[in-house]
Amino acid sequence: MPTERQLHLGLMFWATGTHAAGWRHPDARADAAYDIDLIQEVTAEAERAKFDFVFLGDRLASDPSLQYSNPAQISRLEPFATATAMAAATTRIGVVVTANPTYSDPYSIARLLASLDHVSAGRAAWNLVTGADTAAAFNFGREEHWDTAKRYAWAQECLQVVRDLWDSGADAGSGPRPLGHRGTYFSVDGPLDVARPPQGQVVLFNAGTSDQSRELSAREADIVFAGMQPTFALRQAYYADIKERADRYDRADQVTILPGLTPIVAPTTEEAVELYDLLNSLLVLDPEEEPGELVRKGGIGEGHRRNLSSASRVFGVELRGNDLAAEVPAETLAAVSEEGALRLAEITRLTRRTVDGPRRITYGDLVHAAPSELSHTVVGNPEEVADMIQEWFEGGAADGFNIYPAYVPGSVTAFTELVVPVLQRRGLYRKDYTGSTLREHLGLPVPPRRPSPTSAVRSTD
Amino acid sequence: MSTGMLLGYELPEAGLPDPTAFLLAAARKAEAARVHHLVLGDRPAAGPAGPGTPASLVAVSLLAVSTSRIGLVMTAAPAYHEPYNLARMVASVDHISHGRAGWRVITGPDAAADANHRREGVDPVTDREARAREFVPVVQNLWDTWEDGAFVHEKGTGRFIDSGRVHVLDHRGTLRVRGPLNVVRPPQGHPVVLADASDPLVSAHADVLAVGNPDSALTAAQAGGRPRLGVVTPFVAATEERARELHALAGAPVSDPARAVLTGTPGQLAERLGAWFDRGAVDGFTVRFPPPGPDGTANAERIDEFTDTVLPLLTAAGRFPATYAADTLRGHFGLTRPANRLAERLAAGPERD
Ligand SMILES: Cc1cc2nc3c(=O)[nH]c(=O)nc-3n(C[C@H](O)[C@H](O)[C@H](O)COP(=O)(O)O)c2cc1C
Repeated sequence: MPTERQLHLGLMFWATGTHAAGWRHPDARADAAYDIDLIQEVTAEAERAKFDFVFLGDRLASDPSLQYSNPAQISRLEPFATATAMAAATTRIGVVVTANPTYSDPYSIARLLASLDHVSAGRAAWNLVTGADTAAAFNFGREEHWDTAKRYAWAQECLQVVRDLWDSGADAGSGPRPLGHRGTYFSVDGPLDVARPPQGQVVLFNAGTSDQSRELSAREADIVFAGMQPTFALRQAYYADIKERADRYDRADQVTILPGLTPIVAPTTEEAVELYDLLNSLLVLDPEEEPGELVRKGGIGEGHRRNLSSASRVFGVELRGNDLAAEVPAETLAAVSEEGALRLAEITRLTRRTVDGPRRITYGDLVHAAPSELSHTVVGNPEEVADMIQEWFEGGAADGFNIYPAYVPGSVTAFTELVVPVLQRRGLYRKDYTGSTLREHLGLPVPPRRPSPTSAVRSTD
Repeated sequence: MSTGMLLGYELPEAGLPDPTAFLLAAARKAEAARVHHLVLGDRPAAGPAGPGTPASLVAVSLLAVSTSRIGLVMTAAPAYHEPYNLARMVASVDHISHGRAGWRVITGPDAAADANHRREGVDPVTDREARAREFVPVVQNLWDTWEDGAFVHEKGTGRFIDSGRVHVLDHRGTLRVRGPLNVVRPPQGHPVVLADASDPLVSAHADVLAVGNPDSALTAAQAGGRPRLGVVTPFVAATEERARELHALAGAPVSDPARAVLTGTPGQLAERLGAWFDRGAVDGFTVRFPPPGPDGTANAERIDEFTDTVLPLLTAAGRFPATYAADTLRGHFGLTRPANRLAERLAAGPERD
């Protein structure tokens, strides 16, 4: 077993790709969300690349209005059904299910996760989210989305009961034991009807940005799925903040911090840029006259719209009426706002086009310059992508990455075939699994079954 | 309606040393014998028989990708589920099994399970009946919130969906559910809903009825032409004496209105089942296997024995078909794919883009 610190990699499974137009790529499988054979193949491919896990996000509502901005969010298979199918097709890779306690209860969550951990022989993880989505409330009998404080207080108690339920299940040494939880939000007698999970405690992910979320991550999470910070210094600060908070619970070395990463990779830089341009050219733009209230995801500026009007406001110069493929005159770009200047640097980083070099920034580039909230995009050849990964990993910004495939399955294959071997050659990433459970991949032991929680000794009435 | 008798196996929920291996072995055995469907129980409370099988959703999902023809029925009670979640679970199993999903809906009170599911604002005891009454049609309507073919995936134009073919449900009763569902309409349109004929809260909405003991089953007319499944628990052995021993070792369960307990040789059991079927008492059976017994008889062996000895006799007598006549669970039950009733009803109503 290597003693040096190793990268951890996960695969974010968005069937239609994490690029809004990924599904339109000629090689993309537009119907991948419902093709379980393909989903299993992609999982097996990630396993061949020795990924720690494949990750299923979730959303408890459908919003058809996202069809041009974020079609992956319209619909998907239920995550426990999907994860079970993924586990059935593999033997080593972890399977991560997003489950939102805001609309559920601890017994249901504990039972489903324990079941998944059993059928996968110790490869299950729970991504605990409290939901950023107000629409879910209306699907679950509520009139409003709870505020952050209520969601996290509820989630915290739920998590405690889930953990106690996992420990209440019978294990090899001893039988089940009752729980008798009487809390602020939940009343749960227990014990769990399913045996204690093979991992003892199912691996816990948390993703969120608020103070409450960071605190929950520091205290409880095995993996923190980091949101995107705009600069390297802020990424380091976020990383340090989580580690410092975790240190207060004496568990800084047990928390793995993984930002999202969208790699646009091809054998050469030119081909990678070409692929990035192709994907962006497939984006459907919003009409210029779109009214102000509409909020989309994926565009830029107020309302997140993808058009030249919105770009004009963000860059502070008049861009309307131009052909997207045309180069923007250097004098126009010289006049952009401060924020616009930062974006021009990003555009150059991604497209290698510059303000005044031989290949110049186009109007289309300005429309497509929206930063992602969920992942960092890198465009390049395998060495360039590996360089970026190494820089973050060694620079105190990440312990690894959750890889976002721009389109499926091509982007998965490109990363596993082109980048993973480079990382392995550099000694940054495992050449093979050394264990068979997700805890083992993360270097975490199975925690002992804890003594009965105090709530169990309280009278039940 | 299929020509032979309908046959399903209800698998035990607890007391198995290796539940995952058991489920896989039982499903493969049953599918090889052309049994129409499996029913997976789902009681969210610990019982005396030891650790339970995986939650029904996980169990049927595992079997969905490990088998290809047999129907897979998960169990879920409205008391412990939100309709939006349950609708997507069953729809998802229908997708990954290519149209083989069913949902057995149970509504009876269960104090131990209730005591595991109390949360702020939700007590499974309160509103149990009101929720159960609304629950099934809400789930069926959620399956209809997307019309067939609403996901157009037009790479050329970038149109992913046809927003004219998606509908908001906006159900407002004891349950309140807006929709649309976040899953494409299931391959079967509506996965098969099974319910006890005697359950007044949900039986009206079921596609298939469990009618309990075949001796006291309701008639085809009373069932409104829907398939009726009698429930039997077999103790089968090479000799009548050994079968009686097995029955005694299992605590000698007796027949009641909910099921018939059968003891005997393969020939005797095949005769009993065949006679009920021939006189039209039921359209088929759910075989509820006894839990693993203290005699050490593994439950898998009981399933094997019934499958290997009783089914061939039923087949030889022309009562049980030895081939699958359909690819979907609806097909196995002789049911057609339902039209999208929400689309029909809401055609002129408000829509959301
Ligand atoms: C990287 C990342 C991924 C997330 N994935 C999901 C998800 O799949 N489903 C979901 O409901 N919320 C998701 N969220 C939302 C968070 O879980 C969290 O509930 C939300 O951001 C509100 O909490 P906060 O204020 O702490 O950020 C994600 C957040 C981040 C940062």
